[in-house]
Amino acid sequence: MSTTTGWRLLLGLALRRDRVLAAVWIAVLVLMSVASAAATPSLYADQADRVHAAEALNASPAIVALYGPVLDVTSEGELAMTKMTVLYAVFVAVLFVVVVRRHTRVEEETGRTELVGGTSVGRNAPLLAVAVETLLLAAALGVLTAVGNAVSGLAPSGSIAFGALWAGTGLVAAGIGAVTAQVSASARTCAGFAAATIGVLFVLRAAGDTGPEWLGWLSPLGWNTRVAAYGDTRWWLLAAYPVLTVALAAVAVALRGRRDLGSGLLAARPGPAEGSPRLTDALTLALRTTGTTLLLWTLAAGVLGVVFGMIAPGIGDLLDSETAQSLIDELGGELVAAILSVVAVVLTYFAATVVAHTARDETDGRAELVLATGTSRGAWFGATLVVALVGTALLLVVTGIGLWIGYVAADGPGIGNLLVAALAWVPAAWVVGALAVLSLAWGTRWSVLAWVWPAAFLVLGMLGDLLELPAWVSGLSPYAHVPSLPSEQWSWGSSGTLTALAVALLLVAWWRFRERDIH
Amino acid sequence: MHDSHEPVIEIHDLVKAFGSFRALDGLDLSVVPGEVHGFLGPNGAGKSTTIRVLLGLLRSDAGTVRLLGGDPWRDAADLHRRLAYVPGDVSLWPNLSGGETLDLLIRMRGADPRQSRRDEMVERFALDPTKRGRAYSKGNRQKVALVAAFATDPELLILDEPTSGLDPLMEQVFNDCVAEHTARGATVLLSSHILSEVERLADRVTLIREGRVVETGTLDSLRHLQRTRLVAGLSGEVPDLGGLDGVHDVAVEGAKVTCTVDADALPGVLAALTAAGVTSLTSSPPSLEELFLDAYRDRAGAGR
Repeated sequence: MSTTTGWRLLLGLALRRDRVLAAVWIAVLVLMSVASAAATPSLYADQADRVHAAEALNASPAIVALYGPVLDVTSEGELAMTKMTVLYAVFVAVLFVVVVRRHTRVEEETGRTELVGGTSVGRNAPLLAVAVETLLLAAALGVLTAVGNAVSGLAPSGSIAFGALWAGTGLVAAGIGAVTAQVSASARTCAGFAAATIGVLFVLRAAGDTGPEWLGWLSPLGWNTRVAAYGDTRWWLLAAYPVLTVALAAVAVALRGRRDLGSGLLAARPGPAEGSPRLTDALTLALRTTGTTLLLWTLAAGVLGVVFGMIAPGIGDLLDSETAQSLIDELGGELVAAILSVVAVVLTYFAATVVAHTARDETDGRAELVLATGTSRGAWFGATLVVALVGTALLLVVTGIGLWIGYVAADGPGIGNLLVAALAWVPAAWVVGALAVLSLAWGTRWSVLAWVWPAAFLVLGMLGDLLELPAWVSGLSPYAHVPSLPSEQWSWGSSGTLTALAVALLLVAWWRFRERDIH
Repeated sequence: MHDSHEPVIEIHDLVKAFGSFRALDGLDLSVVPGEVHGFLGPNGAGKSTTIRVLLGLLRSDAGTVRLLGGDPWRDAADLHRRLAYVPGDVSLWPNLSGGETLDLLIRMRGADPRQSRRDEMVERFALDPTKRGRAYSKGNRQKVALVAAFATDPELLILDEPTSGLDPLMEQVFNDCVAEHTARGATVLLSSHILSEVERLADRVTLIREGRVVETGTLDSLRHLQRTRLVAGLSGEVPDLGGLDGVHDVAVEGAKVTCTVDADALPGVLAALTAAGVTSLTSSPPSLEELFLDAYRDRAGAGR
């Protein structure tokens, strides 16, 4: 029996299990790309207008740090794909990491690999099956994006290059997922390593685009910009993605051969023989189980805040006349607002991870273990929502403090209180977090929606702009009602309404959770 | 303490449906203080569903349920401080050590792990408390739940197939622990799908099938269910066992004979087999499913 016997069977099983997840994710990504491609021509009157817009983007270090530069300002496609090339490529990467982790480390942790390994399936079959699956998904994503962009009016050859670079990003991310899956015995540590790797690659690219150019070449996300799909395309650079992917896959297979099933390269440390006296109830349990995650998120939010805070005031170098001071202040404020609008959505995902954690506790039977003790449903449910919502607010505060520190350190002009600017996003994040909690309260089967809400509202907001949808449609997103501080004013009306909405959603969630069966 | 005359568990006409499937269909169960009550039924009969209703995890659709004199749905948390529960399939937090989980569960029931028999139980069950949840085998996960349950002195122990992952040595420790708790006056609800497992411990048993009670009573009153399945290889001619009283399901295959035998008919059957020259003999308790099939067939036959 070869070490890959049975991979076709596993591939079929994997595709069957991922059919909704992968299809929806790819469809949304392609839709975003196509909507951006289709909307761009109508946004600009002529070539000069477009070049002006591209130069304005390039002139703002914060925007460049977030999206990467527009390397060819005369190219319509390069401008249209500004957000897609790097920022949305991160969502491509996340999909592939999720898929790989789901079929490797998670399967091992739950013991399903053992179940399969007991049948006539080779040791490397799961890895081969997931490799083939990611190839198929990458091909589907690349082809659909290329066709979609071309049909929407962008240059066909550029569209092919763009589809290829998205597919390439996905493959590299799959490779990263495969390697991190071998390193640790825990599926959560695997997710943490993979997320950290993508974060480092993103920051490397941001640093390379705003500072020393060579740093950007170290990151596959940096290659995305440098391929210049719709400009003077570097076709040869597209080869770098499969080369890196093969290298990562080889590392993963080598690591897999060196460890036992269920273990990681990093040995699992023994835990304490006794519990801390503070570990006594649902809340301390939730903090104990999600504490490390919250700490990592806090660090990431702080670092990103400082980095973007330092980059934002760079706009001042371009306009140094005394009279332009107010303009500088305004632009600086808008940049911070733009950064916060993305960061707030990403940070809401912390609430989603907490909700997902509680849902797994319930489906696995740990909730049953706890609820058969003196812990009430209220305490169990309350712990989840407190950690999810207070945690999200904390992350936004940390981001605000980070922005402020970075901004001041870089001698930015006074643009108002950045902490308040970050806090302005808290009520909207709470509404989305409350929706996640409500999904769980409705039933564990619906808890997967916790992952969908933030992305859905982000997509809604973007599509609303691009497709010029009626205001009430984009208004469905809670994020649409947040004033763009610091350039706009804090609004007690919108923050109050959003907070009240969040409270109302939580009350409905509590009513439902109290009444329903625990499985 | 609980009023000693009132049943610890009193279920009457309980119905629980999942969609169109009626998991419990008019179930009755009464457990009196101080007894070990065996709760028996084949897989999928509704044992775990009943226990989950008792714990207030599931809401009943009809019928009355009383637990320790209270309403398990409304007073769940308060009642739970007086009981300990061991689920059939124990799942632990992957990144918490066994020791942490133990102390957490004991504290959540309102007891202090340091003033409990936690360390003694850890030793008796040979549990390594420093391992992380994800590293434990099924049996060891079950031990964590058992140690947490036996470490304190609850009024009621609800044990759902508690020995399914334990080896025979640990099963003995388990039996000792149950005996110690009943000796101090605790009540035990012990669910299982194996009759012989419950036989050793239970004072009374309730048998359920498809969400309904089939039989309930003392073990003696259920003697007719305690048949033995015999498989014998014979050197001589196969005797006609079907003619003997209390012998059922006789099947002859060459020199091999298979049958199920009532307890009081065993001496006669063994004498007949010995006379025919036994070369091999295995006896095993029949599965509940087989017993139920028998019971139903007998009843259907009597009705005709």
